[in-house]
Amino acid sequence: MALYAGIDVGSRTTKALLLNDEGEIVSYHVLFTGADPKGASSRCLEECLRKIGKGMKDLEVIISTGYGRKLVSFATKDYTEITCHARGAGFYFPQLRMVIDIGGQDSKVIALEDGMVLDFVMNDKCAAGTGRFLEVMAQTLEMSLEELAQEASRAKHAVPITSMCTVFAESEVISLIAEGISRDRIVWGLHLAIAKRIASMVKRLPQGRPIVFTGGVAKNKGMVRALEEALGEKLLIPPDPQLVGALGAALLARDLKDEGNRLNHYRTD
Amino acid sequence: MREIGLTTTVPIEIIYAAGCIPLDLNNLFITSPDAEKLILEAERMGFPRNTCSWIKGIWGVVKERGIKEIVAVTQGDCSNTHALIEILQFQGVKVFPFAYPFDRSRELLYAQMEQMRRYFQVSWEDIKRKKEELDEIRALAHEIDRLCYEDNLVSGYEDHLYLVSTSDMKGDPQAFKREMEEFIKKAKTRKPFREDLRLGYVGVPPIFTDLYQKIEALGGRVVYNELQRQFSMPFRTDDIVEQYLLYTYPYSFFYRLEDIKREVKRREIHGLIHYVQSFCFRQMQDIILRKELKTPILTLEGDRPAPLDVRTELRLEAFMESLRAKRW
Repeated sequence: MALYAGIDVGSRTTKALLLNDEGEIVSYHVLFTGADPKGASSRCLEECLRKIGKGMKDLEVIISTGYGRKLVSFATKDYTEITCHARGAGFYFPQLRMVIDIGGQDSKVIALEDGMVLDFVMNDKCAAGTGRFLEVMAQTLEMSLEELAQEASRAKHAVPITSMCTVFAESEVISLIAEGISRDRIVWGLHLAIAKRIASMVKRLPQGRPIVFTGGVAKNKGMVRALEEALGEKLLIPPDPQLVGALGAALLARDLKDEGNRLNHYRTD
Repeated sequence: MREIGLTTTVPIEIIYAAGCIPLDLNNLFITSPDAEKLILEAERMGFPRNTCSWIKGIWGVVKERGIKEIVAVTQGDCSNTHALIEILQFQGVKVFPFAYPFDRSRELLYAQMEQMRRYFQVSWEDIKRKKEELDEIRALAHEIDRLCYEDNLVSGYEDHLYLVSTSDMKGDPQAFKREMEEFIKKAKTRKPFREDLRLGYVGVPPIFTDLYQKIEALGGRVVYNELQRQFSMPFRTDDIVEQYLLYTYPYSFFYRLEDIKREVKRREIHGLIHYVQSFCFRQMQDIILRKELKTPILTLEGDRPAPLDVRTELRLEAFMESLRAKRW
């Protein structure tokens, strides 16, 4: 059985996913990237193969993506997250016209036509409106990410958050806590602030529907709710949104098999 | 010899006719090995962090090189120049202000040039002779540009460098002429570049130090440098006032747009990079550009003289991937 691997080396987590010749997902693995993205990519892929009793020799093509994509020396080729998320989201929703991807360090909106990237926008050069932003806010509020998401999914009222800079927003949240504002209002306010920011990115692109929400932050039900409220419409969520980039990379790996780009040796150092 | 600093392109024929040496302060700043230091020096002086780095760089380079006299464009370039002039005047630099009329009025432009002619104490005859000499040199830059987009023998970066240098002819037109003649001779012996994506560059010259190199490494080629080409006066005419009326940069964006549309078609461009400078009013013109052109556009914003940051590089790479997907 020939296997096609996609590795998404993200700023927070590394994801590896394997497809077989029929295009079925046969294995995947997620681990924290930490300070060694190169090491994380090989460990993640090895673990992914180990789960199904396979080895590197069974891999036909490997595609890397994510911020650490250039560090994956054993990859056949690399593609940007934009291309991979568009391709991966299209696997679940072929009719899609837009992808919102919120990852650890960046957020992007991609407009598509017939499965091809038409245009895209990304957040500014900071962690505003990303997974990292929510992590910092969760720490400030002494909550886990799960608790934060849960709180946001059922909160009724929001307190307006004006700063989107992670550092300033943290100070703002501390001031709100000191004023005695309840935690659920702060949490919902934070989610709505991010959602408004993403909604303005959506407006800057050619308008097509439906919209698919991918990336690790799409697992946060509160964020889904906030985005749906800001956009005034339902979003499509793939079964495992965090894996969409790796899936897209694996699909591109499978595409490459016909182009004669097969691997002839493997190296994981 | 009397050196005259320029804040942007002006009728250099007048300056050269007076036997002076024009020096484009933007070129001096960006080619300085200490470009970042010049900005920091300006910020230490009190220039705000959220002000265009070119303005700060110009101030820095005037101080560093000890330039005593400048021609500053007060209309048609950037309103930050007004305060820059005042600070330089305050520090003892002599300033001749030059304004391009927003409505492209021939009368008003003539009046400006007449004033400049008197300031430099030259005759229209002297200017005409100088124009003939400089036009010959400009023709070489146009040939380099043609070798870039038509014969694929010149890289986008080389095209950018020669075109941008026409704003002051590097302070020595004859040496610049010889340099270009040599370059053309060499370029004609090359094998054509084979990069598959033809890109256009729209906007003021980039402050990034490696943009062209990154584009080429990703398999793209810039075959159109919009404003750099404008600095070289691409519309040939014997009338010097007409020449600076045809020059698109200082006038309405709609006039620039006509030129961009024409060149995108002529040069068979697959995608455009619209470069905008942080804190520049021209960023807003991106709205019109995107609505008026069907060609895919990537807008890149630069602040300081540095290599592309990871995020900008990712956007560039993704843009080129999407252009490729559209083509095949």
